[in-house]
Amino acid sequence: MSTIFDEIKDAIVDGDEDLAVELAERVIAEKVDPVQAVQLGFIGGIEEVGKAWTNGEAFLPDVMMAADAMKAGMDVLEEVLAAGEGDGGYEDKGKIVLGTVEGDIHDIGKNIVGALLTSAGFKVYDIGIDQKAEEFVAKADEVGAKIIAASALLTTTMKSQKTLVEYLNDNNLRDKYKIIIGGGPTSAKWGEDIGADGWAETADEAVELCKQLLA
Amino acid sequence: MLPKFDVLTDEQINKIHKNSMKILKEIGIEFSYDPVIEIFKKHGQRVEGHRVFLEPDFVEEMVEKAPAQFTLHARNPEHNLVCGDGNTIYMPGYGAPFIYDAEGGKRDATMADYDNFVKLAGASKNIHMTGGTVVEPTDVPDDIRHLKMAYSHITNSDKCFMGSSSGYEFARDSIEMTAILHGGLDVIKEKPALICLINSVTPLKYDDRMLGGLMAYAETGQPMVIASLVMAGSTGPATMAGALSLQNAEVLAGITLAQCINPGTPVVYGSTSTASDMSTGSLSIGNPENALFASASAQLSRFYGVPCRGGGGLSDAKTVDAQAGYESMMVLFAASTTGVNFVLHTAGILQYYMAMSYEKFMVDDEIAGMVLRYLKGFDCDSDEKMAFDVIKTVGPGGHFLTQKHTRKNFKTEFFRPALSDRQSFDAWAKDGLDTNQRAKARWQEVLANYTAPELDADVKAKIEAFIEKRTKELIK
Ligand code: B12
Repeated sequence: MSTIFDEIKDAIVDGDEDLAVELAERVIAEKVDPVQAVQLGFIGGIEEVGKAWTNGEAFLPDVMMAADAMKAGMDVLEEVLAAGEGDGGYEDKGKIVLGTVEGDIHDIGKNIVGALLTSAGFKVYDIGIDQKAEEFVAKADEVGAKIIAASALLTTTMKSQKTLVEYLNDNNLRDKYKIIIGGGPTSAKWGEDIGADGWAETADEAVELCKQLLA
Repeated sequence: MLPKFDVLTDEQINKIHKNSMKILKEIGIEFSYDPVIEIFKKHGQRVEGHRVFLEPDFVEEMVEKAPAQFTLHARNPEHNLVCGDGNTIYMPGYGAPFIYDAEGGKRDATMADYDNFVKLAGASKNIHMTGGTVVEPTDVPDDIRHLKMAYSHITNSDKCFMGSSSGYEFARDSIEMTAILHGGLDVIKEKPALICLINSVTPLKYDDRMLGGLMAYAETGQPMVIASLVMAGSTGPATMAGALSLQNAEVLAGITLAQCINPGTPVVYGSTSTASDMSTGSLSIGNPENALFASASAQLSRFYGVPCRGGGGLSDAKTVDAQAGYESMMVLFAASTTGVNFVLHTAGILQYYMAMSYEKFMVDDEIAGMVLRYLKGFDCDSDEKMAFDVIKTVGPGGHFLTQKHTRKNFKTEFFRPALSDRQSFDAWAKDGLDTNQRAKARWQEVLANYTAPELDADVKAKIEAFIEKRTKELIK
């Protein structure tokens, strides 16, 4: 007989957000161990999708829908997990504030980065497009993020990434956060020039980068 | 000229049209710019906040007002271009921030690159105009980039070019500069001389900056390409018919707006819709889907009675290799043979619009020459061309190499490659240069031999004075 953990795992693999939420609610109602539900169910599912994607068997919609389903289910469990319920407790790999910089409305790349980070176990707060430095920092402060990730797709808005670093410097907050940047016209050199902590060319490299930065 | 072939049946065209009209009426489209909302309200269209719901009759009535063709005027009238009427207009790539070089290196594009591509386009007999934003000149502050770019087109060539559409103010600057070049705003209102690119924000939005640009061009009667780039699978549905309907709805809404502002203002129906790479989400442009979208757009444009923009020498390759060649040929050939009139991105593009390459430019120039020859098709209009007499003279078993008829006709009948190698193996093996290396030698030679057509000193001084004045105002 399949356990609720298997059911959760399947819901994630299928990218079924409604079912993921329903199952998470059942975990709470039936007092199932939430940590096991996360490890065996949600993470188990997303890891399977991730592996299939790396092998070229799954595609972006599979990964992104799985990430959405996982996020929705985990949100339901957030309270019980925060209360330390369950075997050994659960903690995400780190909180990341993600957004597209001021003046820029490109968001496909950012959304993909967000989905892959989520599926790697990070808790991602996506603040959307056309966001000022203040807004990145306010959100990071509010949720206790360790990483701020800023996307820019235009040569004319790359300077907003620089503004973000400067804003942190000016407010003596630079040591509090790691800043990573990315997007089409950006480069490793640009990241170095503006004093960011990292740059990645693709979404899967962004995941590796965040793992390194928080190691 | 070759008849243009269709990729959609009449029934399919009707289905797409109806679907687009339903999108505009029932889902609506968002315009972030307040003056635009007022315009649609005045025309009796339903508005909720910034979302506008367009009535099919109204859209059809407005699109009807757009001309089927128009002439774009160059400083040198020999380079005037008719956009529409079965013509094909080629120009360089648009907007790339990087240069990829022949050795596989990558660097930021600069103003010097900008001038070079304008000159290469000026020198080419296959490239009809010098385009716009041929690269992003990243070494020029962005407040004044549009001024420097227009200056480059004006001074380095006498062909037609494109102006800025980045907001009302920058658009007006490009229009003013073009007006000075042609002898006043009244002159270019009569004889349009500047065209720009207006993009929707897929799905179903237009933003302030683009709408400001649109208003500036429409007010002064300058033509504009109104284009939509649906990334099927990510910013649009993963079905070809769905993505085409979405694109069509966006472009029709843009054309409708332009006609509301200035009825009869020339517009070009634009498409750069294509498929997303579903593994990485990256844009992909060197593919059969892109070719189909371009061809279908040409057909829709004929249906609506406006000229069409689409296609190009498009590739996802990172260097001038076989992929760069076969992808570019596919998309350029398909667009051209199915009736796209205005081909932005004909030459130079690598890696889904991210980079320009000098070598790729020369390869695409060659491809453009081949396609243009193909488009000319067969000339059966005279006895001379039918060649009965010379066939009779030579008779069975002879040869034609020493016939006057041959010497007289081959130069105009045959395409002569500038880049392709047709030598014997041994002759080729002496240097053993591949296309990439030959292209490198070729662009360097073309640039070294290029002299810009002279510009009237008085006009030049006036344009420089305008740039100086605007630079002071824009850089605080
Ligand atoms: C789709 C698109 C649009 C759409 C955006 C829709 C949307 N919802 O995002 C629309 C039509 C709205 C648009 C508008 C404009 N665009 Co645009 N657009 C593109 C296009 C074709 C694809 C972008 C994309 O989604 N790529 C796919 C994603 C998956 O790739 P990505 O964003 O690079 O993200 C990957 C990595 O970069 C990385 N990454 C991304 N973000 C981050 C963040 C971090 C922290 C990290 C670590 C990594 C990372 O991971 C992602 C996945 O691997 C590009 C060309 C291109 N090939 O990129 C032009 C392009 C970026 N646009 C360009 C331009 C000029 C514009 C406009 C100014 C006008 C115009 N010509 O269309 C406006 C500007 C609007 C504005 N104010 O922002 C230029 C920019 C040139 C330059 N000077 O920099 C480009 C290069 C095209 C060109 N050659 O002209 N655009």
